[in-house]
Amino acid sequence: MRKLNYGKAINEALGQAMELCPDVIVLGQLVDYKSGIFGTTTGLVDRFGPKRVQDFPVSESVMTATALGASLVGLRPVLVHQRMDFMLYSVDAIANWLALWRFKSNGQSSVPVTIRVIVGRGWGQGPQHSKSLHAWFAHLPGLKVAIPATAYDVKGLLLESIFGEDPAMIIENRSLFSMNDHVPENAYRVRYGQATIRRKGKDLTLVAIGVMVPMALRVAEQLAKEGIDIEVIDPRTLTPFDETTICCSVAKTKRLAVADPGWYTGSFAGEIISRTCEHLGTQMKAAPLRVCLPDSHTPMSSALEARYYPSDEDVANRIRVMFGRQPACSAA
Amino acid sequence: MTLSHEEIRRRGDYRDLSIDGFDHETLKKLYYFMLRLRRCELALIDEYHPADEMRCPIHFCVGQEAVPASLSLLLKHDDYLFTHHRSHGYYLAKGAPMNELFAELYGKASGANGGKAGSQDISHPQSRVYGGAILAGALGIAVGAGFGIQLKNTSQIAVTGSGEAATEEGIFWEAINFASVKKLPVVFVCENNRYSTHSPQENRQPPGNISSRVAAFGVRTETLFGNDVIKVYAALKKAVERARAGEGPTFVEAFTYRWNGHVGPENDDHIGYRTADEIEFWKRNCPIALLERQLFDQGVLSQADKEKMSAEIDEEIADAFAFAKASPFPEDADWRRLNLSPSTPLADRLLKDDASAQFDQNQQYAIPGPY
Repeated sequence: MRKLNYGKAINEALGQAMELCPDVIVLGQLVDYKSGIFGTTTGLVDRFGPKRVQDFPVSESVMTATALGASLVGLRPVLVHQRMDFMLYSVDAIANWLALWRFKSNGQSSVPVTIRVIVGRGWGQGPQHSKSLHAWFAHLPGLKVAIPATAYDVKGLLLESIFGEDPAMIIENRSLFSMNDHVPENAYRVRYGQATIRRKGKDLTLVAIGVMVPMALRVAEQLAKEGIDIEVIDPRTLTPFDETTICCSVAKTKRLAVADPGWYTGSFAGEIISRTCEHLGTQMKAAPLRVCLPDSHTPMSSALEARYYPSDEDVANRIRVMFGRQPACSAA
Repeated sequence: MTLSHEEIRRRGDYRDLSIDGFDHETLKKLYYFMLRLRRCELALIDEYHPADEMRCPIHFCVGQEAVPASLSLLLKHDDYLFTHHRSHGYYLAKGAPMNELFAELYGKASGANGGKAGSQDISHPQSRVYGGAILAGALGIAVGAGFGIQLKNTSQIAVTGSGEAATEEGIFWEAINFASVKKLPVVFVCENNRYSTHSPQENRQPPGNISSRVAAFGVRTETLFGNDVIKVYAALKKAVERARAGEGPTFVEAFTYRWNGHVGPENDDHIGYRTADEIEFWKRNCPIALLERQLFDQGVLSQADKEKMSAEIDEEIADAFAFAKASPFPEDADWRRLNLSPSTPLADRLLKDDASAQFDQNQQYAIPGPY
């Protein structure tokens, strides 16, 4: 079984998409340089030429509008933002145009634009290089939102987005780029709106979003030794969202926790808990739990970063408390 | 040439519209389009209240007929046109059907967008005309269409209409910069009607023409009196030909004026933001009247021709009203289907389903370097 890391899986998906269809183009600042956006676009310009892989002015707003216009002409553009914080210059193009284009044309016009956006983390990225605003974009009708946790998923979801008919945003956490996973060599798809159960369990449903997935699996491994059997679900996409898989799990475990790499207030974790409670609230054995980032901007200092991002132990302790256990002593 | 609204009025009445060298067919078509657009807007204005069946904001374009009339003759079916919120002229310029425009204003299922968009967001994708209410956003999309056309190496072009206020939004300059650096086949038409809602241009922008600021980006520009449809047509023709020939973008700034209030059929002059003299000046220098005088004087057209044209147009308008009123309201409200495509035909054809393996969570996270 071939293994590839997350960054290389993205690179392979882009290369295959461009081979499969001459309408696929890649736009973004520095996408045609050797370093290639953490290796994800490296080599594409050599293979497909400077027309299909183009550097772009520091004009995030018109870059998104450009992709929309180009998609009307029949192209399938992929945009790359090295940090989500910069992409915010294009929120008008996303929220006022791209996301509602299908709707306001009454379904007569499709704009298949894929927006790859990277969320920074660690090494003092600080407040303008680390925002993960997946909940904002999941709030918007007409935009598909994926937040893949594994190399397998990022390749399949990227291909699915490029060859889908709707605008799609792929949110990639920088911390995941080195992580290996089984990645088939063929051009395969991971469908939107299909969660995956990453670990079976009977005592608690732990939904983990994006970069929280490896952590949730480690916590489940740890707590299994203490007799808490956790089912870990990765929703993979937030729009469309697979409510059924989560509800079926909670109907069995009667407990729900969500680990979300976004801020607490208005988090997508809150959405997941709310949806589940609308169906199963009266059957739950414990109040649901969400582990999010504090309602604060990201600090630069590594000492504060370590306290800002929840650790494996933080998550494990919150769950221990949920089960009436004592938190482990090592926790701060 | 420096031109401004003050300068145009200082010159007094405008009398130098010249049709010399223009073939009569082109002149008649320009005239017919302007007359059709004017009568269409006036009919909608008459009908809007008190019936209150058109329940959407409408920005009427009475007085601003010259640019859409010129575009109606210069654009091919394959070309792309992106319009601002004062959209009806552009919609008709691209050959989109009047009855679907009216039905859209009535919110009917048979409307151009099935009642989802209304006047300010209207589009007619088959005719490649797309509107939007948020000033410069559509202009950025036009640049994208131009970019796509360039990559596909076709002979199409993209044209975008905006008002002068759109140049106060950041994306306007991003679009101009990008169109210039890539020499895109795009024509920018700015209908400078002086007012953003009620705010005059001089309160919002430094003195000097917008076109001179655009020219600093290496884009060709033209500045002209926008109620002289012959000048507008000639300038846009040159711009369209350059774009088609791969010679890059052109920006045309046409000074014109809206007769109605900013939005709706009523007059909003009770607010006192423009003078009676100014309004009178622009009504005297109506783009249709200026052309009509020359056509009548030089025997290209007679009063009887005009009456015949008007009768034909009025019949089309009456049919459009009847169609709109008789059409049913939309019923289907499958919100998900309206917002996301129910199918993925290309993905179905190109991609296979596969199975993932168990992910190994016990790996190091990527440790980013300092940059």
